Amino acid sequence: MGSGFPTRAAHTCPGPTTSKSPSSRADRLQTLRRDLGSALRQGLGTEPDTAACCPTGLPELDRLLGGGLPRGRLCELVGPSSSGRTTLALALLAAKTRGGHCAGWIDGADAFDPASADAAGVALERVLWVRPPSLREALRCAERLLETEGFPLVVLDLAAGQSSLASTNDPPTWLRLARLAAGTQSTLVVLGSERRAGASAHLALELQPARTHWSEGLVLLEQLEFEVVLARHRAAPAGRSVRIATARSRAA
Amino acid sequence: MMASRRVACLLVSDLAVQAELRAHPELLGHPFVVASGDEGRDEVIAVSPEATGANVRTGQSVAHARAACSGLIVRTASPAREQTARQSLLDAALSLSPRAELTERSAAPFAAEAAVFLDASGIDTLFDSERHFASTLLAHTEAIGLTAVTGIASSRFAAHGLARRLAIQPGDSAIDTLSPREEGAALAALPIDLLAPDDALAARLTRFGIHRVRDLLALPRTTLAQRLGSEAVRLAARARGEEIEPPLPEPRNRRLEEASDLDHAIGQLEPLLFVVRGMLSRLVERLEVRGLAARQLDIEFELEGGGRDARRAGLSSATLDLRVWLRVLALELESNPPRAAIAGISIATTGSAQRGDQLDLFRPRGPSPGALDRTLAELEALCGNDRVGAPRVADEHRPDAYERGPFELMQVRDDPAQSDEGLAPPGSLVVRALRPPARAEIQVEAGTPVHIRSAITRGRIVTISGPWRTTGGWWSERGRYALDHYDIQVSDGIVARLCFDWVEHSWRIDALYD
Repeated sequence: MGSGFPTRAAHTCPGPTTSKSPSSRADRLQTLRRDLGSALRQGLGTEPDTAACCPTGLPELDRLLGGGLPRGRLCELVGPSSSGRTTLALALLAAKTRGGHCAGWIDGADAFDPASADAAGVALERVLWVRPPSLREALRCAERLLETEGFPLVVLDLAAGQSSLASTNDPPTWLRLARLAAGTQSTLVVLGSERRAGASAHLALELQPARTHWSEGLVLLEQLEFEVVLARHRAAPAGRSVRIATARSRAA
Repeated sequence: MMASRRVACLLVSDLAVQAELRAHPELLGHPFVVASGDEGRDEVIAVSPEATGANVRTGQSVAHARAACSGLIVRTASPAREQTARQSLLDAALSLSPRAELTERSAAPFAAEAAVFLDASGIDTLFDSERHFASTLLAHTEAIGLTAVTGIASSRFAAHGLARRLAIQPGDSAIDTLSPREEGAALAALPIDLLAPDDALAARLTRFGIHRVRDLLALPRTTLAQRLGSEAVRLAARARGEEIEPPLPEPRNRRLEEASDLDHAIGQLEPLLFVVRGMLSRLVERLEVRGLAARQLDIEFELEGGGRDARRAGLSSATLDLRVWLRVLALELESNPPRAAIAGISIATTGSAQRGDQLDLFRPRGPSPGALDRTLAELEALCGNDRVGAPRVADEHRPDAYERGPFELMQVRDDPAQSDEGLAPPGSLVVRALRPPARAEIQVEAGTPVHIRSAITRGRIVTISGPWRTTGGWWSERGRYALDHYDIQVSDGIVARLCFDWVEHSWRIDALYD
């Protein structure tokens, strides 16, 4: 063997087969396609990729979503009052903060209740609570928070019961927010009474109140049930639904 | 064997010029003078080397100086800038020795100088040599924008004399050291003026023909006090190196202050921020040399026409990031501009120890302190200071009570991630607060609400539980409350928390189950 610079072949990684015939290449390509196809066919819901998801802490919903809400995406939780949007958002917040992460809650509706959040298991000291005075500031706060690395979950609460926050259908704003979320790999969750983000939303869940449980005898509010419909998902079929219920209240 | 006492003298011979150059680096290489600023009879009190080369001298009138040197730049003397430069010199010294002492202002002909004495004993354990120590000291001085010389000897006088000689007869090096053995001979040849005798004693020494240190030391000690007074005895003791007390240590929490008098009052935000940026960068350089960072800044503006405007800006963690501080100050000034034009500025801080961004192997990385500070500052500027923070559960029974505390990274980092054990399961009953609560009109039958009409919901109340009475604050007229709470489900599907306020005798919805 002569000395000198090694040839390209000398640096080739050894593969499972050493044959380079056209037929074996075609076989390998076919195998690759088959494997890739099976992975794609697995889809969401069968084998959740928890590394790319933000679990909600609600097992039924996590199964529906394939592990949770996707990271680096804009997700919408919409529904009328008492439909469970806040329950879902706080469950998400609790799961995130209990894992040691920081999270932001932009309270455009000025409706965040620390006692409820505490009862839902949220680590309050890890929540940056911002109370913007108007919708415009709420959106700017969301932009600012999404630009800051270290907040893997940002909740933008625009679900005002009686306010002027209701109408914001400015597509560039939502597109910008979606891009910022993708840049820092933060999950942006928008709470509202109706969908606003349109095509910028990677995922939208529509919630409806399903049933209210009251205890027998001494009447006490015990549990709420909600119907969650996957109204939009860029990587999975929409229309599937799941019913979730709050934990039974301590009073019961 | 006990190590001998060594003292270093860090000397700036032309403080007024150096202070101007430090504040206005663009003057470097240009002929400029510092004028007294007295209206009508401006006098040159300090001259840059370039202007000295053009025959401009201290004591001349400004008009005379301008005639001697075309293109001469005239700056008005700023006591605040000079004082800041003196303090900066002390910071450079404190970066290497905890025992550093700023000298008082000297009399003429050394009135223009600023000197700091440092305890340099035992530095050979930290540095290769005294020269290495001195060159590091000069590098730190350079970093804060001053050019100095250094002398190291066994006594303050000897070190001071060496430094003064370097300043008067600049050579290739800005460093001179004297070993104890050669000190006597070297000091004897120095002019007596370097001992800085007072005017009366200097005149008497001149009359007696005493011009060098050796001449003074040759006089008999016993009659020195009788002939020339006690001041001469002290002078001779200093010349013999008998002044061995080390410099005193500086207080640990010394305030660092950058101050400047402005030539013209500033009434707009942009030029003000430009000036603040320069001052802030110099303050950061001083902190950096000391190995400190700032967590809080006290800014004081001297307003045109009298009056002061003091304000304080703080961050959640100490930082040296100039961009962060600039952003914080810009937001502060934009949201709350000064009420008059600014004639002088002072920015001060007490240095805090720098805390590194300590990461954890087992916990997620949170936001970096600098980025978080910038974000918090901008959020506060957008929403107001009292609307950004970490939520807290209020320690009281009033159902709608809540608290907000600062969002602090240290608290976030130090608090371990919680396990699921012992915590509420996810998906507990939660409410959305209504701030302010929604007024409601209630139809009551047999003492029970049966129908509701409000901006939130209207309809028949299909299920109701309650009332639960909460009272408190009865000891205070304004804070007392007596509330009856009900959980209701309305025919339109809304589940709400209804409340009857016994103090106001009114119904309202203060939260929605969601």
